[in-house]
Amino acid sequence: MKQPVSLPRLINDIVDSPISPLVDKAQEADRKAIAYTCSFVPEPLLNVEGLFGVRVRAPGVSGTPMADTYLSNVICSTVRSILEFVLEGTFSSINGWVFTASCDHMRRLYDNLDYLEHPDFIHILDVPHKRSEAAVQWMREELSMLAEKLADKFNVVTDDAALSRAIDAHNEYLALMRDISDLRKRDHPPLTGAMFQALIAAASSSPTDLIIPHLRVFYETARNAPGIDDYRARLLMAGSHCDDPHYIRVIESTGALVVGDRTCTGSIPALAPIDDEGDPLTVLARRSLSNISCPRMMEEFDTRVEEIIAAAKEFRVDGVVLETMKFCDTWGVEASPMINALRKAKIPVLRLEREYSLGSEGQLQTRVQAFMESMGK
Amino acid sequence: MSIYDLKGARVSPMEQARTLYYKAEAYGHIANMGLRVGPLTMLGHLRSKPWLKVLLDCGTLFDMSTKGREGLYRQASAMALSRVVKAITETLEGVFTRPEYTVMHEDLVPPEIIYAMGLNPWMAELLGIMGPLIRSDFAERYIDVSENAGTPPDICSLPKATMGLALKGEMPRPAAILTSNMPCDGGMSCYTVLERELNVPTFRLDVPYNFYDERSTKYFADELFRAVKWLEANTPGRMDWDRLKEICDERNRSVEYQMELWDLIREKPAPLAGEALYLGHMIFMVAMPGRPACTEYMKTMVDMAKRIRAEGGALHNERFRAALWNPPTLVYPELIAWAEQRYGVVTLMDMISYNRHPYIDTKSPQTIMEGLSRIIMQGPMARHTRGPQTNFFTDLFDLYERFNLDMIWMAGHMGCKNTMALNGMFREKCRERGIPLLIIQYDLSDTRVVSPAEIRKQAEGFMETVIKAEPSK
Ligand code: SF4
Ligand code: SF4
Repeated sequence: MKQPVSLPRLINDIVDSPISPLVDKAQEADRKAIAYTCSFVPEPLLNVEGLFGVRVRAPGVSGTPMADTYLSNVICSTVRSILEFVLEGTFSSINGWVFTASCDHMRRLYDNLDYLEHPDFIHILDVPHKRSEAAVQWMREELSMLAEKLADKFNVVTDDAALSRAIDAHNEYLALMRDISDLRKRDHPPLTGAMFQALIAAASSSPTDLIIPHLRVFYETARNAPGIDDYRARLLMAGSHCDDPHYIRVIESTGALVVGDRTCTGSIPALAPIDDEGDPLTVLARRSLSNISCPRMMEEFDTRVEEIIAAAKEFRVDGVVLETMKFCDTWGVEASPMINALRKAKIPVLRLEREYSLGSEGQLQTRVQAFMESMGK
Repeated sequence: MSIYDLKGARVSPMEQARTLYYKAEAYGHIANMGLRVGPLTMLGHLRSKPWLKVLLDCGTLFDMSTKGREGLYRQASAMALSRVVKAITETLEGVFTRPEYTVMHEDLVPPEIIYAMGLNPWMAELLGIMGPLIRSDFAERYIDVSENAGTPPDICSLPKATMGLALKGEMPRPAAILTSNMPCDGGMSCYTVLERELNVPTFRLDVPYNFYDERSTKYFADELFRAVKWLEANTPGRMDWDRLKEICDERNRSVEYQMELWDLIREKPAPLAGEALYLGHMIFMVAMPGRPACTEYMKTMVDMAKRIRAEGGALHNERFRAALWNPPTLVYPELIAWAEQRYGVVTLMDMISYNRHPYIDTKSPQTIMEGLSRIIMQGPMARHTRGPQTNFFTDLFDLYERFNLDMIWMAGHMGCKNTMALNGMFREKCRERGIPLLIIQYDLSDTRVVSPAEIRKQAEGFMETVIKAEPSK
């Protein structure tokens, strides 16, 4: 596939390194890096003045022997890879950690990391599994406790005004990324799915304000660039964690083009604007719980299916790739009924189970090729 | 089920007759269920739900539980099993005769509420738990159904067996489902499949992760109130608060006896162990709490324990005391009787039984719901597999002291990722405290992963190399 634009070098550098060079730059300016691991953490709360959120990744992890000793080898490899890097000291410059009780695996990552490393600052958000008003209220209280703890520990201001400013700044980032994402709706998108994932991965693991200028440069180039016109099929990627652009690159090496992503680390619904009216903590709580793309939101199976169908229409895809992380229990159970429901809606689906680090590329390519052939592409 | 590795105890004809009596009584309960449901209807159920036939094998559970035991301990074990069978047949009878009043619930939802609304509580996981205890390969065909439908092999075999029963069309169809986000992701998610396969309205309770505070209790109690409203809208059940109070008072009485029983088993030698403790708790305190039969069971076991104490303890040659942590080895329940016989190890406590047992304040509907919330949140499995690791370890080390234990046996079910992810920490913490720890690698309900013989071998290796115990001849 011919690619009319390429990514800025800095983005590629960030994607391939566990700690973004922009993190060091922000820390030099005396800002503190707060690591998080899950899309239920509301970024603006970690982005108040003096702090910045870093969604940790483990690019290039080559095995997880130390993490396996503690977590065992039946735990999701995203979680094991992060712990491995922690134990190797890769994240030693991080100033604090925020987890969520989102799934069994993440909870035990929190337990083990706390036990093994005793970080100076560690917190776990108890995120409800539903989005009722009572749940929103609960989540608001959770965020309020975290805000207070952050303020105490790092001597920063997390009051309503500070949060509103952080929400506004984050909205600027979201709007820019939506603009980039919209380019993918074109008949001939100027960028690949792998490029888009690289942008998201780089942005979420860097201080937002420092990455925005680089994203803007890319957007300006891409929006005027010619589109890719030799792809064979348009795909939507749905499923669990996938912060590795190389994985998408392998899928796209078959001639497929991933034009939308409804994954835990993707753009739908993560790029939706944040309400800037009303009590900021309630706004953030509601936003977290409206992210029902993860099956840990136990009441939302039907809505999840509907939203995938809606996204498939919006991005005019030929088929959906449902990628799930091996050992993930929620996706493990939900994937089959979901595939049945999507097929019932006449959407072709390919299920891929994967590990965090990329392996057996040939097999992946063969499966995607066969999928495209089954769609007559 | 195989009991080949148990040696028969030398018992008097009188003792043998007693065991036979309880066995016959259990079969009588099964026959009674058939009669009350109606022989023809029952035949229909047998055809559409072949798993029912496993009940006819319950005699093997008796053999396993009595074969190597003597005296009153043998009698208590047989009596316990007969009552367990009675409770199960009564539940099934309700499911078969009043399906429109039956509410299927997940094992960590308070059945007291369902019961007080004039509905039949039907714990979905009961079959997946009881089946393998009676016939070790019971769950395997259902696990296969579930895997053939796309569930990955690494998911816990208990939810897989439960889903398999529904996917195969053998799960009785209730009027509604009441479930929650407990005890784990696999357990929670399997209700997506159950809801769709059984096609019934479903309510899900949200239980906070860190629950040792009033804020969590209040949140969960409010969820319970919402569940009551929902059940009233979706089933013929109506909440009778006076009835709920009676049920909770009854539960409190059962707990008093259970606490007395726990005090008794702290003594050396222990006056009771094994199935009479763990199975009784699982059925009467987890699946069917708050009924007079539950209090009666606990009271009887207290009386038996006192008599056994006077006889010199359950095991005359008690040499070691252990907890069997995690859900017990369903595919190899003989492990407990075998360990008694071979090494003089009594199994006194397990994860399912180690409830915090808070009493319910029955002053008002609010205090009742808060009491029930605390019981569930601090209940068996819930606080160990879901909450922070400190719940798991604090309890274990607490019960290690409380019951004067010599070792911990961890039934390291490979599908239970919550506990698998604590094993590294577990080993280190036990080493620091000098607590001998055996982690048995196996699968809760699938003998094809690890066979009973391999489970036994792991226990033998530990007893002989770590504990340096001489096996009895
Ligand atoms: S992929 Fe699944 S198991 Fe892994 S972190 Fe996400 S929800 Fe948890
Ligand atoms: S044994 Fe573990 S994995 Fe299985 S249902 Fe229970 S908590 Fe879940």
